[in-house]
Amino acid sequence: MDFLIGWLAIIPSYATPLLLASLGLIICERAGVLNLGAEGLMAVGAMTGAIIVLSGGNPWAALGGGAIAAAALALLFSLATVVKRADHTLSGLAIVAIGLGVTGVLGRPYVQKTFRGIETLGDLFGIDRGTVFGRIVAVQDPVTSALPLIVFALWWWLQKTRSGLRLTAVGENPAAADVAGIDIQLTQLAAVLASGVLCGLAGAYLSVATSHVWVEGMVAARGWVAIALVIFARWNPARALLGALLFGAADALVPRLQAIGADFPVYLTMTAPYILTLGVLVLSSLRGKTSGEPGFLGLVYLRQDKH
Amino acid sequence: MFDAAFLVRRQAPGPLLSGACYAGGLFVGLAISAILLVQAGVPADALVDEFLVATFLTSDGLSQTLTAALPLVLVGLASAVAMRVRFWNIGIEGQLWLGAVAATWVALGGIGPEPLRLPLMLVLGAVVGAAWIALPLWLKLKWGVNEVISTLLLGSIAFLLVQHLLFGVWRDPATNFPVTAAFPEASRFAATGWGQLHYGFLLVGAVTAALWYLLDYTRVGFYADAVGHNIKTARAAGLPVGATVTGLVLLSGALSGLAGVTIIAGTEHRLSQVVGNGYLFSAIVVAYVARAKPVWVLVVALALGAVFTAGNVLKVFYSISEGMIVLVQGTVLISILMAQFFSTYALSRPS
Amino acid sequence: MIDTAHQLGGRGTLFPGAPPALDLRGIDKAFDGKPALVDASFRLEWGEVHAIVGENGAGKSTLMNVAAGVYAADGGEQTIDGEARSPRSPMEATAAGLGMVHQHFRLVQSFTVSENILLSLGRDSKIRTPAQAAAAIAAKAAEVGLPVDPARVVADLSTAERQRVEIVRVLLLGARILILDEPTAVLSEDEAKMLLSFVRRLARQGHAVVLITHKFREVAGFCDRITIMRHGKTVMAGAPVADIDEGEVARLMVGEALAVSERPLSRPGAVNLSVSGLTQKPDRFGQGLNALNFELHAGEVLGIAGVGGNGQEELVACLTGLSRQDQGSIRLGGRDLSRASPHDRRKAGLRIIPSDRFEAGLVRELSIAENLALTQVAKGDFGGPFFLDRKGMRHAAAAAILSFDIRGASPERSAALLSGGNAQKVLLARELDAGMKVLVAHSPSRGLDMKATLFVRNAIKQAVEGGAACLLISEDLNEVLSLSHRVAVMNRGSIAGCRAIGDVTPEWIGALLAGHV
Repeated sequence: MDFLIGWLAIIPSYATPLLLASLGLIICERAGVLNLGAEGLMAVGAMTGAIIVLSGGNPWAALGGGAIAAAALALLFSLATVVKRADHTLSGLAIVAIGLGVTGVLGRPYVQKTFRGIETLGDLFGIDRGTVFGRIVAVQDPVTSALPLIVFALWWWLQKTRSGLRLTAVGENPAAADVAGIDIQLTQLAAVLASGVLCGLAGAYLSVATSHVWVEGMVAARGWVAIALVIFARWNPARALLGALLFGAADALVPRLQAIGADFPVYLTMTAPYILTLGVLVLSSLRGKTSGEPGFLGLVYLRQDKH
Repeated sequence: MFDAAFLVRRQAPGPLLSGACYAGGLFVGLAISAILLVQAGVPADALVDEFLVATFLTSDGLSQTLTAALPLVLVGLASAVAMRVRFWNIGIEGQLWLGAVAATWVALGGIGPEPLRLPLMLVLGAVVGAAWIALPLWLKLKWGVNEVISTLLLGSIAFLLVQHLLFGVWRDPATNFPVTAAFPEASRFAATGWGQLHYGFLLVGAVTAALWYLLDYTRVGFYADAVGHNIKTARAAGLPVGATVTGLVLLSGALSGLAGVTIIAGTEHRLSQVVGNGYLFSAIVVAYVARAKPVWVLVVALALGAVFTAGNVLKVFYSISEGMIVLVQGTVLISILMAQFFSTYALSRPS
Repeated sequence: MIDTAHQLGGRGTLFPGAPPALDLRGIDKAFDGKPALVDASFRLEWGEVHAIVGENGAGKSTLMNVAAGVYAADGGEQTIDGEARSPRSPMEATAAGLGMVHQHFRLVQSFTVSENILLSLGRDSKIRTPAQAAAAIAAKAAEVGLPVDPARVVADLSTAERQRVEIVRVLLLGARILILDEPTAVLSEDEAKMLLSFVRRLARQGHAVVLITHKFREVAGFCDRITIMRHGKTVMAGAPVADIDEGEVARLMVGEALAVSERPLSRPGAVNLSVSGLTQKPDRFGQGLNALNFELHAGEVLGIAGVGGNGQEELVACLTGLSRQDQGSIRLGGRDLSRASPHDRRKAGLRIIPSDRFEAGLVRELSIAENLALTQVAKGDFGGPFFLDRKGMRHAAAAAILSFDIRGASPERSAALLSGGNAQKVLLARELDAGMKVLVAHSPSRGLDMKATLFVRNAIKQAVEGGAACLLISEDLNEVLSLSHRVAVMNRGSIAGCRAIGDVTPEWIGALLAGHV
């Protein structure tokens, strides 16, 4: 029981980076740009966040800094895909390489140096940790608590506002969007930058709020998991929340087991989140043609093509 | 935004234009990489020294370059073969790791008679590599599961399996490091005597030649091209689409597994945590720059082998992180991708 | 600007001295080196319905796309209502009061009608929510007399309904000039009549309407003037409809005397292909198949007419083996091919000419020789298991290029560079081989000029005279009528009726075609 409560308490913080990245990818893919560079973007966010804190900065500034740094890398990605209309898959892979490479080089002096993270709700509001509820809530931080709001806001924006509809139109039928006067490239550029900001934030959260350290390879394929979760979520923010919680639960298992000192095959257990993601991916594909997939995802639209 | 009104797709870009764009992108990418290296503290003249002279023009350097290139050729071929049929094998590292694991099992366990030990390692490594890609392949063919993610996830799982073994049953009892015991002679590629180069180069050469013949001179290459460009037409024309895709993708996995065996039987002689690092991006970059042609893969892999060799030297002398090599590859890749814009599209300016 | 009211009387009367609604002069446009428009011109007056007529590929759509800002012209001038305006984007054209309804509708399938219209409204528009858009749509629809339901999802609408949505959208955006691209191609005869009456009413109220069409006869009764285009040039500019006769139009469109083909005689042979009870659930876009039956005899052409979207694509896909039917059987020469692979079907003598040449017939990245040899290599020809005889492929290709008179082709050249007509010849050279027993030809002369069309039809006639059978599926009624021994009509995924060519009357066909909503 104690194990369960402890586990439930840390699930949200493990789900947070997943969810943030997935939301960013949903925005990007809804505009028709397939972004496989999430892993690299998150790495850049993680490293930047760690560096800022280690250099004496405020952890909140570190989160922002991570987001901005990743947005810069996303700008390069958008230059390749939106402006130069290069193949989305290969460009994404190149971004992963650049992101992992750059962080390997620049982050070297900062590896394995721990630091303080952001305040928890317990710190801010002095919550009574005696009750079960209190124990779970006290460990959450403001970012995690804001997530349901962010999810709702994104969902509402996509479904109910005109700009959200315009974004969806660009990824669904760019010919229709073009005729409606929507600037396809500008929309896609903004969407890619948004995904950069959110993936960077996710990465920064990982280093600043969860692990309190920067280590090469710490993103550990979470960027790829986020990409898979977008498919599972059918490009819907609300379902992304569900997927992130599921993965977060699996991801939180190993640290939880280690915390109670259990004897278990560590590395084998660490495969659990990936196997779960694979299973989730298969289940989503079983439904036949993935519903919700933007009709023009990954494809290049040219006004002078025959439509 | 800028050019939406004027952009047209070229129907058939001539080979001259395509080649020029490739070369241009490659050049720009390398130039930027050189600048990055200089920024990181490598003096400019040392660059030329390390990347050209030391790697190709000295006997030691050349043998080192060739040795480093061997597994790169194999993973480059693995990536190229899958790319031909539009299957993104992003799990090459995982297949490589498991090939290495299979070979380690044979070597440490003394499986089979001694003269057959090495061939057994090679065969088992290839089979295991193929088996590891079989699941994503089946998932894609049956249910359309995106292979980019599935192969990558399996790659992560494979590495965790390796760590489980290295920190567990295969841990070196003497030092307690996550490294296996050294392989006996029978499980190694014999050294040629020229630096670190081992007789694995014969295997790599043979494999390259075989694939070159297969893709350029038999109908397998014809099928692969048709399937890769237009799978619907290929199917309607009666081509054995399923067999072609399955065969080439499994081959891709097998080649990756083979690469794993080559590394530990040829150079490392033990399984450790660094055996497979960095091969995924190298595979993709090599295959893409070489336009998925086996002979060019050989050439590009050699060039990349030089980069790896030089990189190791830079790491020691100038404290450049390993990440630099990955960064260079990513830069070159995105540079070429962007340069392709000019051969794929044309601007039709109104008068 | 375009807010001047134009009061009109009878056909084409204007205020004297009023500038033309649209004037295009000397327009040149080439795509990647291939000329599509050569010194083309067009002049539209307010208050008229003006038809641009020409064969497929004549340049009519291209010219209008230039006017509407979709394509950028390489040279020439354009004025709208007297002012020099060359729209560089569809939005600029809309701002200038020019609205185009394309052949493939620019609607987002998953959105409702209101959401689609909301997309197009500018930032300064007072309409900001779907609810407000719905109200505006309802008002406009009532005003012009076109029934449109704003709440429905576009994917659920019929083609005619979607077209109405497009028209209302364009009118809501303030279009005074309306361009409709092949509007009647997707409509039944009754729907077409309704649309054309509406369009004429609109013109009389002060708009100017352009109808792009290749069906002159259909629109003649509703137009004021026509312009004829051929090979990217304007061969007759703005002649009043009353002054021309049909023969002259046909001659100008085609450029040479049409070779009149004799009515083929009915010659029943053994049953080559038998399809029975073919059923398939409809997917997102089509009608599916509904217990489809027919029999095809040796030496005959069975022509299946019908408006596209009634299951033709699904039928061809099932026959080819690319998709599997849910129920029913396909038998060729007595062999059950219902579950056979495309490879086995070819072996049994089935040959396919798909409607989309480059999507399902040719691989544009391969050379012409490779495309010609595609099916044979799959069979095992041209060398053994360890060697592919590319030299032999090149020789065979050279021979085929000669005998089929494929222009601008050499064996090594990329197939992407072939023109429509020559690409079709490559397909014919490949498919019409010695082993052919049944040919399925889907819209074989779509997009081809008259010469290429005649070639295709003769090739099919000859092949059938040699003993093969042909299933001809086409939306072009002329094509069906000129080649077939028997004619059937496809409607909602099944055959609605079948008669020998001698018994076919316009009323019979019209009735069957109109059966589709």
